[in-house]
Amino acid sequence: MIKIENLTKSFTTSTRKGFKTNTTTVNAVNNISFNCTPGRIFSLLGPNGAGKTTTLRIIAGIINPTSGTAIVDNYNISQGSNELKKRIGFLTGSTGLYERLNPDETLDFFGKIYRIPEEKLKERKAYLFDKLGINEFRKKRVGQMSTGMKQKVSIARTLIHDPEVLIFDEPTSGLDVITADSIIDLIRESKENNKTVIFSSHIMSEVDLLCDDLAIINKGSIIYNSSFKDFKNEMKADNLTQEFINRVKEA
Amino acid sequence: MREIFIIIKKELSELLRDKKTIINSIVLPTLLVPILIFGTIKVTQVIEEKEQQKTIQIGLVNAPENFLQLVKKDSLNTISTFSKTEDFKGLIDKKTIQTAIIFPDNWNQQMDSLTTSSVQIYRNGTKDNINHRVTQIIDSYNSQLKEIRIAQLHIPIQKMTPFNTNYIEVGEQKELIGKRIGGFIPYLFILTMWGGCLLAAIDLVTGEKERKTIETTLSLPISKFKILLGKAIVASLLGFIPAVLNLFGLIVGLKLIHGIPDSFKLAINEMLNFEAVALILLLLIPFSLFLSGFIIALVAGASTFKEAQSKATPLIMLIIIPLVLAMMPGIELSWSTVLIPVLNIGLGVKEIMAGTIDMMQYVVILLSLIAFAVGTIYFSYKKFSDENAILK
Repeated sequence: MIKIENLTKSFTTSTRKGFKTNTTTVNAVNNISFNCTPGRIFSLLGPNGAGKTTTLRIIAGIINPTSGTAIVDNYNISQGSNELKKRIGFLTGSTGLYERLNPDETLDFFGKIYRIPEEKLKERKAYLFDKLGINEFRKKRVGQMSTGMKQKVSIARTLIHDPEVLIFDEPTSGLDVITADSIIDLIRESKENNKTVIFSSHIMSEVDLLCDDLAIINKGSIIYNSSFKDFKNEMKADNLTQEFINRVKEA
Repeated sequence: MREIFIIIKKELSELLRDKKTIINSIVLPTLLVPILIFGTIKVTQVIEEKEQQKTIQIGLVNAPENFLQLVKKDSLNTISTFSKTEDFKGLIDKKTIQTAIIFPDNWNQQMDSLTTSSVQIYRNGTKDNINHRVTQIIDSYNSQLKEIRIAQLHIPIQKMTPFNTNYIEVGEQKELIGKRIGGFIPYLFILTMWGGCLLAAIDLVTGEKERKTIETTLSLPISKFKILLGKAIVASLLGFIPAVLNLFGLIVGLKLIHGIPDSFKLAINEMLNFEAVALILLLLIPFSLFLSGFIIALVAGASTFKEAQSKATPLIMLIIIPLVLAMMPGIELSWSTVLIPVLNIGLGVKEIMAGTIDMMQYVVILLSLIAFAVGTIYFSYKKFSDENAILK
């Protein structure tokens, strides 16, 4: 369960001109609220620079909000607890893998950090490697892998500790259809296992396939938040992509 | 602690899989000193041999016969005789001759009347080999003439020698050499340590940004302080290990390389005994942490390797200047220099090697370095926790 209430994140930048320092404060996320419930997939959509990544980083405990609260699986993020991070699987375009380790070592590292018992880690690793087809390159260094291979390993490391909350930011970006399909399958499986899933993507067909609840964020504010069923019922355009564009332009 | 160890293990495996790190942190530091010693000895030998075999073209004016014979004794001297003073500066510039010795017209008269004459020598001060050899000829001729005069005057030789000097060395050979070269040794391994820490710190912080793994690391259920501490320990290890290998290379190099004077070898062996090496290494542990903390704090805001290098490189001046000061003969370890980082290590190592370290001062250096290390680690933690800087 994720409960976001009046969340704001401001960034202050200072620029120096001679002896003068100009300080500018920008709200990357401005007073946003939404809920994600277990067993449902929540899609957070928005154009580039809308505030998606900042929101997801706050939920994952990577950055602190300026104001507002976020409760993730009964933990308040303002307490900055590592217990909260243990309950989250976080995957975005900027959570790369350690290039000089191989998939085996990568998952062992994450397993140890998440304090997974050795036997359980072995089982979980075997399951994910099998499910994502990683076995054939499990000893290959990440730096020598293709984009698809890397993304599979990223998904595996996100799921290794079987987290209650999953955050996926464009998980299928740049992947071939077969790899993308296996990842979508895993996201669906997480939903079936009653996990809370936040999913962000620019591929509307995937949103259509997975989404239960939806929020659209633009310029740091939520401009739409309801169930995907409601969104579809309220659609004025012919397709999802056009409806999304129209709503962002109207906001 | 467990998490810090996991981070250290992971960072070390990553770094040691990089060829650049292996070459800079292990291969180079081990081989650097032996290569330097061997190279210096060989190059000096070759230069000396070459110089000794070089001919010198000497221009002479009014040279007396006995001087001419003295010059001719060395077959490598080529003589050009001039009847009068010429433009010798021009001739030396044109390389017609390399030096010129001008005796006065009335030289024989002056010698017979036992008066003091004057000899002019044209020379280029930068040509050490020529000047050295000409000075030897002149000194030898001067002594020869003195002996002739003493004989002519029937003065017993003892009367011309009021006293003989006899120096008795009370300082140990170890102390002498320790104070003279002791400043050079920390210069060598602190610079190696700096290089190791710099490369590792940049790779562990800016490298993570470039490889887009910093967010992955920050999403781990470990505090930022533990992540930072793990990284700082690894960076300091990658600085400390090359410094130790450097020292090891020096000891092995001195043992295996031929051509080093035995007295020097003996003194160095005595200086680098177990106790001295242990005392030096103990100082290097907090110092490497201090360096890593400082570098991490400087590069935390950099988003590329190049930017990080340009931010951290000026720091080297803060290391070189105190180390050069430590090499200067007049600057000694005292209560006023004991708290100045880098300078205190340079001077401390000098005293340790000379066997004259004051243990109270040593403890103060160690404690001050620990305090500086804690300070820079805290400073780097603050920088590492700055969201604007680290996620840039």
